[in-house]
Amino acid sequence: MSALPETKALDDAPSFSERLSSALFRQEGVLVLIGIVALVVLAFGSENFLTVDNLLNQTRFLAEIGLIALPMTYIIITGGIDLSVGAIVGVSAIMLGVSWQNWGLPLELAIVVCIITGVIAGLVNGLFIVRVGVPPLIMTLATLALYRGLAEGISESRSVRGYPDWFEELGQGSALGLPTQLWVLIIFAILFAVVLARTTFGRSLYAIGNNELGARFSGIPVGRNKLIIYSLSGLMAGIAAWIFVSRTTTTRSDYGSGWELDVIAAVVLGGTSIFGGTGTIIGTMLGIVLIQLLKNGLALTGVTSDATIVIIGSVLILSILINNYAGAIFGALTRRLRPTQRNP
Amino acid sequence: MQPILELEHISKKFPGVQALTDARFDMRPGEVHALLGENGAGKSTMIKIISGVHKPDTGDIRLDGQRVSFNNPREAQAKGIATIYQELSLYPELSVAENIFMGHAPRAMFGAVDWRTMKRRAAEILDSLQITDLDVEAKVGGLTVGKRQRVEIAKALSLNARILIMDEPTAALTEADVQRLFGIVRLLRERNVGITYISHRLEEVFVLADRVTVLRDGQYVGTDDVKNVTQDKLISMMVGRTIENLFPKLPTEIGKPVLEVRNLWRKPLCRGVSMTLRAGEIVGLAGLVGSGRSEFAQTVFGFTPAQDGEIILDGKPQKIRNPGEAMSKGIAYVPEDRGTQGLVRQMRIRENVSLAVLRSVSRGGFIDDKLEREMSQHAIRQLGIRAFSGEQVVNKLSGGNQQKVVVAKWLASKPKVLIMDEPTRGVDVGAKSEIHRLISELAQQGLAILMISSELPEVLGMSDRVLVMREGRIVAEFERKDATQENVVAAMMRESMDVTDAQPLRTAGD
Amino acid sequence: MAATAQPLVQAQRSRPASRFKLSSLLSQEVILALAIIIIIVVVGSVNARYVSERNLTSIFLGNAYIAVAAIGMSMVIISGNIDVSVGSLIGVLATLSGTLAVNGVPIWLSWVIPVFAGMLVGAVIGFFVAYLKIPSIVVTLGFLSILKGGLISITNGEWIRDLPDSFGLAQERPFGIPMPVYFMIVLTILAALWMRYSATGRAIYAVGGNKEAARLSGISEPRILMTVFILNGFFVGIASILFATQLEIIQTAVPAGVELLIITAAVVGGVSILGGTGTVIGAMLAAILLSAIGSALVFINVSPFWLRAVQGVLILMTVLADLLRRRRNQASLKG
Repeated sequence: MSALPETKALDDAPSFSERLSSALFRQEGVLVLIGIVALVVLAFGSENFLTVDNLLNQTRFLAEIGLIALPMTYIIITGGIDLSVGAIVGVSAIMLGVSWQNWGLPLELAIVVCIITGVIAGLVNGLFIVRVGVPPLIMTLATLALYRGLAEGISESRSVRGYPDWFEELGQGSALGLPTQLWVLIIFAILFAVVLARTTFGRSLYAIGNNELGARFSGIPVGRNKLIIYSLSGLMAGIAAWIFVSRTTTTRSDYGSGWELDVIAAVVLGGTSIFGGTGTIIGTMLGIVLIQLLKNGLALTGVTSDATIVIIGSVLILSILINNYAGAIFGALTRRLRPTQRNP
Repeated sequence: MQPILELEHISKKFPGVQALTDARFDMRPGEVHALLGENGAGKSTMIKIISGVHKPDTGDIRLDGQRVSFNNPREAQAKGIATIYQELSLYPELSVAENIFMGHAPRAMFGAVDWRTMKRRAAEILDSLQITDLDVEAKVGGLTVGKRQRVEIAKALSLNARILIMDEPTAALTEADVQRLFGIVRLLRERNVGITYISHRLEEVFVLADRVTVLRDGQYVGTDDVKNVTQDKLISMMVGRTIENLFPKLPTEIGKPVLEVRNLWRKPLCRGVSMTLRAGEIVGLAGLVGSGRSEFAQTVFGFTPAQDGEIILDGKPQKIRNPGEAMSKGIAYVPEDRGTQGLVRQMRIRENVSLAVLRSVSRGGFIDDKLEREMSQHAIRQLGIRAFSGEQVVNKLSGGNQQKVVVAKWLASKPKVLIMDEPTRGVDVGAKSEIHRLISELAQQGLAILMISSELPEVLGMSDRVLVMREGRIVAEFERKDATQENVVAAMMRESMDVTDAQPLRTAGD
Repeated sequence: MAATAQPLVQAQRSRPASRFKLSSLLSQEVILALAIIIIIVVVGSVNARYVSERNLTSIFLGNAYIAVAAIGMSMVIISGNIDVSVGSLIGVLATLSGTLAVNGVPIWLSWVIPVFAGMLVGAVIGFFVAYLKIPSIVVTLGFLSILKGGLISITNGEWIRDLPDSFGLAQERPFGIPMPVYFMIVLTILAALWMRYSATGRAIYAVGGNKEAARLSGISEPRILMTVFILNGFFVGIASILFATQLEIIQTAVPAGVELLIITAAVVGGVSILGGTGTVIGAMLAAILLSAIGSALVFINVSPFWLRAVQGVLILMTVLADLLRRRRNQASLKG
């Protein structure tokens, strides 16, 4: 049976650039708008909100989630997902504490262990996803349990304290007036953004997300690139764990719990489609900032952290709705304004 | 005899192609009526119209003399028309009986399924087909292809089919299963079921069919009783076209062998293929759908790496494990399905053109916009791509222009060997000849080109040599001067190799 | 053309029917049952108290409500989706139930209303997934937070006390067998029969196994998905009643790790995460197995904190086995 040449189906789907521009101009624009509105509203809620001190302090919190959101953006662009990031943070943090206190390693080495744990955890995810073919959803759901379980088991839910002062520099110190971890986030964000937008690697991620088969046929090393992004996810989780421990000077096995929600919400809010193929780091950063502002502002007006997660959960679902349908609406609107480009 | 089914003046158009033009077909009760034609002749469109998957643009369908119109396959089924496709549509988790009665299981109280009746009736149907080796409670997932096909046939009977359409039923069967199938077909014929039988194996037509209808290029050629025709006559009915002499073939010097393949194996559709490709040569690879041409090409290209055999480039044996390695060794493959395999449709022309060669438009991993833009401008000019600019999204281009983008992408990799899989499928006439001109020019520049095509005029007009594949092997090879439509088609379809017209240079390539 | 051809039903995606007797012996359900027996025997010989009547009862009883929720989860997974919000929903519905009871609502109503509430939530989730086409992982991830946050901010995690005496449904022991065990066994069997033999049940398999073939058979995917999520809400509702009524007090928090336990039970029970195959009986056995493992860890002095790691490993092992099985099927069909 011969295949039918050409169907019209894909012509009506929003194109890559339409989605991108609708994301940039609509989603980002909307985000900034919402951000400003939120700032104003929250500022009314509490006079402590719009102070430099408070805002700077907030950046400490958002740095950790922000770091993880960077590779998560890559992963979601390729059409995958990583639910285990929070658990990786947990197990890395535990390894930091355990290797320092129980194994007696010098703290510097313990930090390295922490980061390596993260990388290995991410690599395991990547290997099973790429080599064995386990769907990312399932794999990271399983490792969500496994890594968290390891964290709980290894630490037996005891926490480690008593870190030396210099260790706290990263999490609690400042450089040039900005919190240290904010600098870390900024540097990494720039790195990730540049790689995504301007390098062959970044281009390959978009290709994989839009048409993995086509990417394979074009000689793009799809498997290798996926391994890289999942390992990156683990790496950033490890670094985030280090910062977190440094900030709170304790290690506990429930660290990172629930972070996957915030991270994925931020990425999607920032315009990355959950189905893959589009997304920017700038958008993700805007999403991170917005979510942190929300959480902080709400907290300052007396809303409990539990109620806040209601908002975050709703934000997640709403962003996807907007993402899904705004693109089509925007495309339809602008198509009417632009002359048809189709050749006869 | 009053026909059960009559189709007249049937036309059907799909975007970019006129599948059927004023075609006709009819079925009498208790006959086996074979429907023949090359790839793209319109056979599958015809049976999809009969079975209700498509509605004809023009024409009538009459059942027992009454006009009917089917909005979906279920309506056709309800009227007694059942189809058995090449790709079976059973539920592997469920039992034979459940599959047979899927969608119309006998009910007991409260809408629950009446299991006993269902199993009994399933067993009865199997008995009536003299099928004794199927357990009605066995899960379909564990059955062989032959048995599953018999379940499909039983399913059709459970719907009291009066017309059974079989599309390439023997393609995946063992010899024993083929004989069983023939037996069942004969039984059905005795029960006055009309069978529409599509097959590329001419010998089956002569064994089973009562009448045969030939389609060509979407048009009706003729119908006759099988006893009145010969194989040669059928073949000439299938191919009788004049070759368009618009194929610009430039005089080219053919050089040394660039690519040599020896006994290449990749199951299931690449079974010991051997061939040679020289610089400046255009070799056409003909064959039916499913003969393994694309699979062979994708194995050479490393997408589905070889399990056995050798690939030799410029005299040196190579291991090609993925497309990246193939590309670095100078092999390029323009895939058959440009939408899903060749392009990233949501991206722009510029981004697609550079996709395979990102390294060459980047410095140290960073994409150089200027280089990339130059590359895409060059491609647009060289291939005559009609678009606003390199920034246009590929989705919006016509089929011909999309195809040019894919070709451009692969030319950018500066290959020595270019494999093109259906290079002008779904492309309008104007773009077709442009692409052909391009292929000639490339050959003149020294590329070795392997052109897989189902369009015979294209194969015959462009090739220096024609290879024919069938069921995973090369079964014939013709020099340009010896290749005719008749002997190529004969090689594609015939069982054995007793071709009379041309002298094959090599027999089966195993 | 093989690279682009889409078979109507990929015949490869299934467990092979028992052509060889051995492989039928090794069906997932049998493996699980054997595993339960082995653990009981082995751990019991190491520590005799493990096989005391009280402990054995608690093993079967402990995860009974998980097994009930796993019925719904199995259906969700078979249809090709997932629901990570069930833990939060259980917390919400348990709280609802207790709150109704202490406020004088007739006991039977305080059991029944939460079940309907669960179905309502299921309908909302189903709407997002089936009609708005948002991936279920994301919808339920969102709902996880919405439900959890909503619950705690309303109740502050307080305990509900002073429950009426007749409230304790899960504490009843008709004929000496705990009520939850009845629920677990009866519901599982009914559900298994329904999934296997009813048109809707088979449609769920079809939608999860091959959407195209399902559509060609006239099955409406959105309607089936709505049904699945509403049913899931139903089973979660019942599970939450069993959960709420097992003690004299209810903690109005979300029990930790419950959704993972439920998903593990379903997956390890043989419901393929790739959709389209599996049975609910396996889920029930897996829930019992998990309970047995959890208890065993205590009795052999391994920290119970390893339980979650064990769950993760079990999920992985089951998925791997499933993948390997499918790959072997594909290979044998092609060769």
